[in-house]
Amino acid sequence: MFPIFPSPEWLQTLHDKLNSDERYAQIARKWEGDMVVIIEPSGHLAERLIYYLDLWHGKCRKVEVLKELSGLKPLFILTATYDNISRIMQGGLDPMQAMMTRKLQVKGSMAYMMRNVPTVLDFVRCCRDVTGEIL
Amino acid sequence: MQPILKINLTTGETSEYVVPPEWERDYLGGASLAARLLYPALTRDLDPVSPDAPLLFLTGPLTGTAGPAVGRFVVCGKSPATGLWAESNCGGFWGPELRFCGYDGLWITGKAEEPVYLWLNGGRLEVRDAASVWGEDTYESQSIIKTEIGVPNAHVLTIGPAGENGVLFAGLFCDHGRTAGRTGLGAVAGSKNLKAIAVKGTKKPPLARPEAYMPLRGEANRALKADNIAQVTHDLGTAGVADYADYLGSMPKKYYHQATMENVDRVSGATMAETILKGVSACHACVIACGRVVDLGDGVRRKGPEYETVVGFGPNLLNDDLPAIVRLGEVCDRYGMDIISASNIVGLAFHLYEKGIVTDKDTGFPLRWGDVTGAEKLLHLMARREGIGNFMAGGARRFAARFGAEDEAVQVNGLEAAYHDPRGVSGMALVYATSPRGACHNKSDYFFVDWGQADASLGLQFYEKQAGAEKAANVARHQDWRTACDALVMCLFANISPEMTVGLVNAACGLDWAVDDMLRSGERAWNLKRAINNRMGLTRANDKLPKAFLEPYADGPVAGYVPPLEEMLAAYYSARGWDPVTGRPTREKLRALGLSDAASDIWS
Ligand code: SF4
Repeated sequence: MFPIFPSPEWLQTLHDKLNSDERYAQIARKWEGDMVVIIEPSGHLAERLIYYLDLWHGKCRKVEVLKELSGLKPLFILTATYDNISRIMQGGLDPMQAMMTRKLQVKGSMAYMMRNVPTVLDFVRCCRDVTGEIL
Repeated sequence: MQPILKINLTTGETSEYVVPPEWERDYLGGASLAARLLYPALTRDLDPVSPDAPLLFLTGPLTGTAGPAVGRFVVCGKSPATGLWAESNCGGFWGPELRFCGYDGLWITGKAEEPVYLWLNGGRLEVRDAASVWGEDTYESQSIIKTEIGVPNAHVLTIGPAGENGVLFAGLFCDHGRTAGRTGLGAVAGSKNLKAIAVKGTKKPPLARPEAYMPLRGEANRALKADNIAQVTHDLGTAGVADYADYLGSMPKKYYHQATMENVDRVSGATMAETILKGVSACHACVIACGRVVDLGDGVRRKGPEYETVVGFGPNLLNDDLPAIVRLGEVCDRYGMDIISASNIVGLAFHLYEKGIVTDKDTGFPLRWGDVTGAEKLLHLMARREGIGNFMAGGARRFAARFGAEDEAVQVNGLEAAYHDPRGVSGMALVYATSPRGACHNKSDYFFVDWGQADASLGLQFYEKQAGAEKAANVARHQDWRTACDALVMCLFANISPEMTVGLVNAACGLDWAVDDMLRSGERAWNLKRAINNRMGLTRANDKLPKAFLEPYADGPVAGYVPPLEEMLAAYYSARGWDPVTGRPTREKLRALGLSDAASDIWS
């Protein structure tokens, strides 16, 4: 059983998964940068959630639940409503489809993103692998 | 809408044509309306480079309104390359400026006795001697004409030497390398002794409900600016997708015969942004600004390459030298040649040379993969129609046929394929096989849908990249939507919601449409273009793919796969309501779309 998504426990489980998954370690071996995921309220989620992940060379160095961004300048900020991100986590919405149909907004270096699409997709695979029940 | 100015270059006569209101409503503008207007003229017997052949420049109801990526126009007629329907749309500032003159289009027939250019200054038209610019390249021509007319901020649409020489993939060019490249309409202009058209106006384009349009326009431009695809396209140009296309196996290499290439990332939009990029350029009022401005170290600001140029002169030739790609692209732009076709034909020459079909005796010099000098020599020869270039100037199909190797040409119905490999994104198999203008990637940019741009509000589903017949109805629906966008004339990169697009159309045209009405309008025009092509000789046998796309790659991300074209086509005809034996739209389908005249013509 995995912790419910979204929750601090889920984030910690993802942290552990990223640090133990060999495929992710291989694909993301050149990735250098942190990321913030903003989950906007919709459906069962009443308040905005902000998750921080520090990703480096195929490992996850740190995760944190933030109250606000307060001057933080991560490499990428991903923003989606709770409903859309839940669909991505459960496999009902392809992450590229979400990005290309205005359901998942990406802010950051597009050059880095386009060069590292395989890493991004494998990151999503890891997220899905640790997502069972949702809110 | 505003009238269309008709000009007969033989007689010098001009007149204003007012579009019937029901056609304005049913076809909106752009390529759809052009198909309706040109339907009677586009017959099988019409020689596309004869004085009788029409050349119709049309804008759309949003052109020049500073809406989201809508500063575009289209030019239509009969293609000298394919003998079929021709359309090619173009950005820059020329389309909006034409509308500012009080006209929504220019409808040109006849042939001038000597080379001329047109100068439309507001409502006043002058036919001017083009002796000073005939033979000049597309950048020089624009600059000389602006000096001659004494209006530096006029906008000039021009052909280059390729159009004058009847190269069958010559286009029309304006501003900083904005092109109506495909289907050879530059050669049609050249055949009329028409070098260029300069426009300058001051009128505001009409809007049915300006009070509704203006706030929507702001909202749409803000949404577009925040969109992910727009961000990629702004930051990296259209070549920003090169890395992803390579990853998926949809970027062809070595003239569509190799799936992978070492150092392919050296020629991506990301690499360009990190090395030679110095600025961006935009069409009229576009918030995306996908155009690239680069510096190769000589202090000259040049147009940077878009995706098709990057692949066409890069991986297509096994070349990973980005500055060389910039230079080859500029050679094409200056001569006024379509880059997709020109690079495809150069790739074909390399391919035939490797196979020993074309030899040193034919070329006068060796052709080796990755050799950009050889590629450049070929471009000069084809633009000037010299030596082997004279055969290449007729397009890939004719060039390969000249050497008894028509099967080797990667083209459909005479139009060279773009650089989106259907073995990587199978939807492109149907797109290339059924597009009204040949192997074109713009009448449906379905590779985007296969990558993920499957908009639920258009009724699109997201299928596996290599799904087969099950995606046929999806492809048809996407073609209908893009046909409606081509009527507006809206850029394919305007990734706003369909509902927002329809809202803008309603406010601009005084309509009360939903997304389905727009799709219906697109379907009507798609079927009309099909009927035009059927009348001009297109049959079921023309819905095909070149041999290369039906041979699997031995390695790479899509090794072993070929699209199941016949199954896909059967499902497509059924989804379209077309006769599976002849591939023609059925009489019932045409009548239901209000195309009874076409029904009688193609079924009589
Ligand atoms: S996205 Fe590019 S091609 Fe399209 S309208 Fe904007 S600047 Fe022009």
